[in-house]
Amino acid sequence: MARATPSNTWTKPAGRPIAGKPIPRPTRSADVQAYIPEMVKGLGITMKHFFKNTKEMVLGQKPDPVLNALEPGVTTISYPEEKRPYPERFRGIHRLTLREDNSPRCVACLCCSTACPAQCIAIEPAEYPDGDRRKGYERYPSSFVIDELRCVFCGFCVEACPVDAIRMDTGLHAVPYDSREQFIYRRDLLMSLSDRSGSRLTANTRHEPGDPTHPGLSRDHADH
Amino acid sequence: MPTIKIDGREIPFESGDTIIRAAHRAGIDIPHYCWHPGLSVAANCRMCLVEVLPPPGRPAMSLDILRWDAAKQDYVPAAKPKLQPACQMACASGMEVLSDNSDHVSEARSAVQELLLLNHPVDCPICDQAGECRLQDYWLEHQRKGKRMRQEPVHKPKAVTFGPTIVYDAERCIVCTRCIRVCNELARDPVLSVRERGNLGEITVSPGRELDHNYTLMTEHVCPVGALTSRDFRFKARVWFLRSARTVCQGCATGCNAYLDYDPRNNTPYRHRPRENMAVNTYWMCDEGMLSYRHAVEGRLLTALVGNDDASLDDALAAAKEQLAGHGDDPSKVAIVLSAQHSNEDNFALYHLATTYLGATDFFVSGKPLGEGDDILISEDKNPNTRGAVQIAAATPPRPVAELLQGIASGHYAYVVALGSDLEVDAGEAQRAFSRLKGVVTIAAHEGPLAKAARVALPACSWAEAEGTYVNGKGLAQRSERALLPHGDARPAWELIGRLGRALGYETGWKTLAELRRAMPPGAALGGAAGAAAPAAALGAAPAVADGARVEPKKTEATA
Ligand code: SF4
Ligand code: SF4
Ligand code: SF4
Ligand code: SF4
Ligand code: FES
Repeated sequence: MARATPSNTWTKPAGRPIAGKPIPRPTRSADVQAYIPEMVKGLGITMKHFFKNTKEMVLGQKPDPVLNALEPGVTTISYPEEKRPYPERFRGIHRLTLREDNSPRCVACLCCSTACPAQCIAIEPAEYPDGDRRKGYERYPSSFVIDELRCVFCGFCVEACPVDAIRMDTGLHAVPYDSREQFIYRRDLLMSLSDRSGSRLTANTRHEPGDPTHPGLSRDHADH
Repeated sequence: MPTIKIDGREIPFESGDTIIRAAHRAGIDIPHYCWHPGLSVAANCRMCLVEVLPPPGRPAMSLDILRWDAAKQDYVPAAKPKLQPACQMACASGMEVLSDNSDHVSEARSAVQELLLLNHPVDCPICDQAGECRLQDYWLEHQRKGKRMRQEPVHKPKAVTFGPTIVYDAERCIVCTRCIRVCNELARDPVLSVRERGNLGEITVSPGRELDHNYTLMTEHVCPVGALTSRDFRFKARVWFLRSARTVCQGCATGCNAYLDYDPRNNTPYRHRPRENMAVNTYWMCDEGMLSYRHAVEGRLLTALVGNDDASLDDALAAAKEQLAGHGDDPSKVAIVLSAQHSNEDNFALYHLATTYLGATDFFVSGKPLGEGDDILISEDKNPNTRGAVQIAAATPPRPVAELLQGIASGHYAYVVALGSDLEVDAGEAQRAFSRLKGVVTIAAHEGPLAKAARVALPACSWAEAEGTYVNGKGLAQRSERALLPHGDARPAWELIGRLGRALGYETGWKTLAELRRAMPPGAALGGAAGAAAPAAALGAAPAVADGARVEPKKTEATA
């Protein structure tokens, strides 16, 4: 036999009927019964939006709801399928820019990791190997790690970089991964990301010592 | 004492002083590149220009110039006073000098800075000088403008190997000739000189030579810009992450005052650099000393050893007790080895334990064997604290370890308690001798023959991980600060000795460094900061900073 529910203060007191307050029904007068035209009107508005949205979706004409916030119309987008265009200066996931020869522009100066308020950049500098034309006076990051989970996307690292090696112009925002490890972006991943136009180089080129464009540098007696 | 007036402030000078020297002693900073208090005056960078007012009643020395008049849009004739290099101009009584208060001087400083940066590459991100570079500092203080030259700068060789320790970058060099003067005047080996002139000037090594004397790292240290870099330090660390501890170099008995620059984040030392102390090393250190910072982490004994197997500290102490069982029956069978490599505190702790509790009467001193010395800084005695160890045990004069081996051979000793790991005698011979003993316990920071010969070895802190007082060859007691946290299981040697004493059943009176220092004879432990030796103050060195304060790593030289 099922156990009786113990009575508590939150349940209806047993044995006493609920005292309701009687509400008078409206009479079926003509003006009360005349809802059908209004309903048809409402349906019309719904259909208008339906056809407009469908047309705009098919033709790709949908105005941006935020940019056109003051205009009447639909103010939502169907998010994962439709994405708002990010503004030009949106700070997305970092990338490391490359030189013409695909080596990292980064000289491992640690300015970005010094500036980073979240302390999420870890760099290990190393010297170029023997025979490299940059060996001897320039270094490069043998390891460059950004913990995107700790990053606050302040952009200080970009500001701090003296050689424009780190940028946040990928247009990507942090992807919802399922493990923390995946948010640890390492050097090769950062170097493989491109800006929105698909370029992995920087937009601010300059000739640098060691580049073939750099004039008048004699390295005859550099032999270590 | 005669005085001169700088910017309205009266400062005293000694006869023969230059303006910059008198100003520095009084704590007034006149910007300079080529002047170094320990070197002769070259007066070639012109950063120190000041305006010297003419004596009363005499006209000012002035130069006729054309000055651009923005209102007239034309050059107009004008005159400006002839400025003088403060590093070369001798003080005269009653002289009035304008440094920061003169517009002509500010203009000159800005112009000199612009000239120096004309051909200078903006390599700062890869330059190891960044963070302690005079060019950067003075640019911010005295210029803050871009350069007007739009042409391609003159390019000169980069990354030239000067020798086993030094790499030179001619593009960054401002040809201040400090490095040349260090070679000539400190190392007395004139191996560097300038070639070409003006724009093309660069430093060059004598043909057929390398920069390889014993003070090459000093050439790097005095370079006010990043033209000379040490191959040991370059690209390893950024100076703004480093902290400095005021230590005493452990390389030899000279006991040079040094800064040990370390990164507290990874507990790693990165370099030694000299700390001026007019009574000991003035402004200098030798290469070996500057590279000896590595011993703080290299070749260390990091765990306790029992019979050459790793053990925990407690197990090792228990094993030590076992080793020394029976030592009380005949105290004359116990030999105590103090260490010239360890501080006064460590030696005193062992001496105190030995005389007060063990009843030992025979003391020996171990240390590194003699090496090469010179008449500049390097001593033949390669131990930092020989005098300290000998002074601690002055009542029972300690003898060299060779005599201990003889004593062991003649069966005089059965137990040895030793500090340190180095032996000036043959390691194999020592090991054979020690193997005949009943008990050998060593407290050592590094691996070495003595630590190896011991049956129980306790891991001690190196000088970089513990505070300590060291007495140099001249008898000056100097305190060295702690920089790093102990690596591995290491503990300060005096603490291990205390624990050993307690393990043996004695109630040693000290558990903290302060207690130990109170127990020490006066003079053996310095109360003040390292290097605050009285002679330094008498010679007019800057007063040492308060004890315990950390000093930012800056390659500042000398406030003479
Ligand atoms: S954006 Fe800010 S928080 Fe993120 S890595 Fe750069 S500096 Fe650090
Ligand atoms: S990314 Fe830029 S700021 Fe960061 S280490 Fe590299 S060069 Fe320096
Ligand atoms: S010497 Fe100074 S100014 Fe020149 S590149 Fe190095 S840090 Fe920069
Ligand atoms: S290398 Fe350095 S110290 Fe030597 S002249 Fe050039 S700037 Fe001066
Ligand atoms: S410091 Fe006086 S000219 Fe260089």
